[in-house]
Amino acid sequence: MKKVLIANRGEIAVRVIRACRELGLSTVAVYSEADRTALHVRDADDACAIGPSPPRDSYLRIDAILDAARRSGADAVHPGYGFLAENEDFAAAVRDAGLTFIGPSAEAVALMGSKTAARAAALGAGVAVVPGTDTPLSAEVSDADMARLAETIGYPLLVKAVAGGGGKGMRTVTEPSDLSGAVRGARSEAGASFGNAAVYLERRLTRPRHVEVQLLADHHGTVLPFVERECSIQRRHQKVVEETPSLAVTPAIREAMTAAAAAVARSVGYTNAGTIEFLLDEDGRFYFLEMNTRLQVEHPITEMVTGVDLVRWQIRIARGERLDLDRARLLAPTGHAIECRIYAEDPDNGFLPSPGRILHLRVPSGPGIRDDSAATAGLEVPIFYDPLISKLIAWAEDRPSAIRRMKRALGEYVVTGIKTTVPFFAWLLDEPDFLAGRFHTTYLDDVLQGRNGRAFGEPSAEVAEVAAMAAALQAVLSPSSAASPADPALAADAVSRRWKARARVEGLR
Amino acid sequence: MQYEVEVNHRIRQVSVRRADGRFVVGVDGRECTIDVARIDAHTLSLLVGTSSYDVSVVADPASGQLALSVGAVVLGVSLNGRRRWGRREDGGHDADGPHQLKAPMPGKIVRVLVKAGEAVRQRQPLVVIEAMKMENELRAARDGVVAELHVAEGQSVDAGALVAVVVPA
Repeated sequence: MKKVLIANRGEIAVRVIRACRELGLSTVAVYSEADRTALHVRDADDACAIGPSPPRDSYLRIDAILDAARRSGADAVHPGYGFLAENEDFAAAVRDAGLTFIGPSAEAVALMGSKTAARAAALGAGVAVVPGTDTPLSAEVSDADMARLAETIGYPLLVKAVAGGGGKGMRTVTEPSDLSGAVRGARSEAGASFGNAAVYLERRLTRPRHVEVQLLADHHGTVLPFVERECSIQRRHQKVVEETPSLAVTPAIREAMTAAAAAVARSVGYTNAGTIEFLLDEDGRFYFLEMNTRLQVEHPITEMVTGVDLVRWQIRIARGERLDLDRARLLAPTGHAIECRIYAEDPDNGFLPSPGRILHLRVPSGPGIRDDSAATAGLEVPIFYDPLISKLIAWAEDRPSAIRRMKRALGEYVVTGIKTTVPFFAWLLDEPDFLAGRFHTTYLDDVLQGRNGRAFGEPSAEVAEVAAMAAALQAVLSPSSAASPADPALAADAVSRRWKARARVEGLR
Repeated sequence: MQYEVEVNHRIRQVSVRRADGRFVVGVDGRECTIDVARIDAHTLSLLVGTSSYDVSVVADPASGQLALSVGAVVLGVSLNGRRRWGRREDGGHDADGPHQLKAPMPGKIVRVLVKAGEAVRQRQPLVVIEAMKMENELRAARDGVVAELHVAEGQSVDAGALVAVVVPA
């Protein structure tokens, strides 16, 4: 293996480029029209255009990506997460083209990528699963049949995309009357996000935690589980804060859960990096939820408490090397790590996406801080992709210190031009229930609903006054840079024309 | 120099004059002396007395305002009466008047959940807009009746496009 093509964009493409470079491998970026100026393109040794901005015309096009591999002379492909990372056709096509796929086999992706088949595999390995439908709902299923099926599972229930992940294509249903609408919505979102509109039903447990186990598995039969990650802080089923270890996991639960995770992986002959997600109920019972056959967004927190570079090991495993890590060390974390997913969203406006140009950026650093990002000043955050712009990770000796360190780092994180979720995290990290570790998967949605749209972090009178003085000082010192557009209406028109032009190009209109 | 600066919906009168390499800045008549160091084209370090503030100021063509940060706190600031255009009007609407629901970002209308003439409650979702691969519900800001509906399913909209108008019943 000499040259790795990264079939992804954003922070994860930059993360993989870094791992490759540390291993002496050269790198190939692929990019859509919207990403010509993106950091992964600038950082890679080679970069290939693969098509227009909508994912289906670029990052989801297997033929275009394989063509880029051929043109650039890449001999391996890392899929990152999202896009084609859990697409078995992609894994198979990479293999059939004579390239190394840095991930599990196409067969394992196919098996565990189907949430319904994965549940069967977990049951086969002796691991409990959440009650739900054994097969996907047929596209022609009648509302009446669907309602009967739902009754056997019980309300409240979840409609979930068979090919899903990241909360997309998922709906909660508490009333039978909402079922068919939720199935319709989940199907349309799943079709758009994953190219597969199939959905299934699963019971929603009361106040469960989402706890998951990272695994590495080599081609020589070794499967190693890592200390769990706590991912219960979610907004609309999307993880926003992750930490490790979990306050809710006792040594006995950890032993049982990591053994169960390894058993599931072993039973399907799994290789490379993967994650088994569990729901943990209030009585300490856990249920297999699904397996992610890829690197997770939140993998850095595991790296911080174990000292293991997971991406480096993904590549080494794909090269056929043996896992020679000390098993006990992976289950005995050093200190505590937390990740905040910084999104280009406006927390004061219902977390609506906030695409646009980053005008000024200052990123935190210092002891125990890691910022996995692809954001730069001047970068246009496109409307076409996930609004994740950075993962901020804090490590410290214990949980309270890690939280304080994260708050310190958030206070150093300056992004202007787009709205971000930084003020939201600053608020969350002061919440008594969060500090005490009293939360479950709908905790955040519940407290956000209770806030009823109240703004996060209103600037103090002192800050507002300093802002007023600074604006005037900048106008004195540098009239051109502080000047507002001479005619705001004209500027408005120019921006709107630019959006329209782009929308036309991307076929959005 | 005299400026009118709007921060957080409040207008302040700000005066600036140089004195001995520093700046005397007045806000609504109260003056203080500030040591100003230029870091780069849009970053300033201010020492107000001994209080230290790191500030960035960049003109934001997308909002017509200045994008300004004081430490990590981000604010939109307007200079000399240049109010931001295209602001959300659902935030500052008159509770008794009609509510104009506008698209907060460019995207595609994937579902229209109400019909013109339909009675709606506050926070009831009216349309679903897809942007950045997520579906977002746009909700009514008040109880009332959908008087106008300007979008159809499948239609793409620009930021600020009028989606619907809800009037009191």
